[in-house]
Amino acid sequence: MDNHPGNSDSFFSGEERDILQEVMNIAFGNATADLAELIDIHTVLSVPDIRLIDFDELTDYLKESIPQNQVNSVAGQKFWGDFNGSGLLFLPSGSERALSKFLNLSRLDSPVEVGIVKDLDDTMKSGLLLEISNILIGACVGKISDLLDTMVSYTPPELLSLEKTDYSFLIKHFDTEQRAIVMKTLFQFDQQNINGLLLIMTNDKSIDWLKKALHAFLNAYEN
Amino acid sequence: MIRKILIVDDSPVARKMLKNSIPKNKGYEIFEATDGQDGIKKYQMLKPDVVFMDLTMPGVDGYTALEEIRSLDGNAMVIVTTADVQPKSISTVMERGAFTLLKKPAKANIIEEALNKAELAIKENNG
Repeated sequence: MDNHPGNSDSFFSGEERDILQEVMNIAFGNATADLAELIDIHTVLSVPDIRLIDFDELTDYLKESIPQNQVNSVAGQKFWGDFNGSGLLFLPSGSERALSKFLNLSRLDSPVEVGIVKDLDDTMKSGLLLEISNILIGACVGKISDLLDTMVSYTPPELLSLEKTDYSFLIKHFDTEQRAIVMKTLFQFDQQNINGLLLIMTNDKSIDWLKKALHAFLNAYEN
Repeated sequence: MIRKILIVDDSPVARKMLKNSIPKNKGYEIFEATDGQDGIKKYQMLKPDVVFMDLTMPGVDGYTALEEIRSLDGNAMVIVTTADVQPKSISTVMERGAFTLLKKPAKANIIEEALNKAELAIKENNG
């Protein structure tokens, strides 16, 4: 994969982007370990990708990042503090059924009570997405904050869409005047054929703090 | 005795952090490889005493590189340094012959301790 795409050079030095990539790598690795501890599922990781985009380019960015026609559900969570932004988790449609086994939600597999199951399905699907999103986004942002020596507060996770291919509605959740630093990690739940996408996005308000924090992180390892 | 150390990691920052955490007073020669493929190539070329190996890398990942290096040299001393500390990842690398696994970011004292243990294991292997 290309580790140096996008126009982040104008915003970040190469070293700053590399530090952020490593911080995201460590943070997501920790998040998946937390998930494995809670629901006994193994996640296959990929190298994180760091980009700077305008928020109004988010839809195009997502089209590029998500396989065409893949139907996804999206959950998100905002966080604020020195490190300010949003986490978005995209999971393909149908993954709830496979993941439900790990959370002992076997009712999703039951063919009975079809009339009732439809409602329960959506409620349980959203509940499950929110749970996974809460673990992954919370642990990932928490670890980034920890590594960068700060603390953040979170809004509760929110289900933003269930089974859609169009993500233009996401724009309304962001200030399109701002630019976003997007930290993207693709992952796969082992043996489940579930490919997900986690985005941690921060904005102009956090840039000055973030640049200082990234250098302080690396300086701790300088001689 | 450890003389040569090879660091295999796609992240220049991770390589720099690790390099800076390795004791300076032991006279180690430190070499770097930028992914698993490069790591295998440099292992064959340099015959390092210890390899620090990341797992999540583009192209040839650390799992494959570890397996390949251990198949080339059954005594290869590979210390996995990774953010991926899921139970299955840990058991997989240990099954493939890693000496130990260190969670990123590993502090200098942890690195030194792992190198000391590796040194002892090398001495034992050499009788």
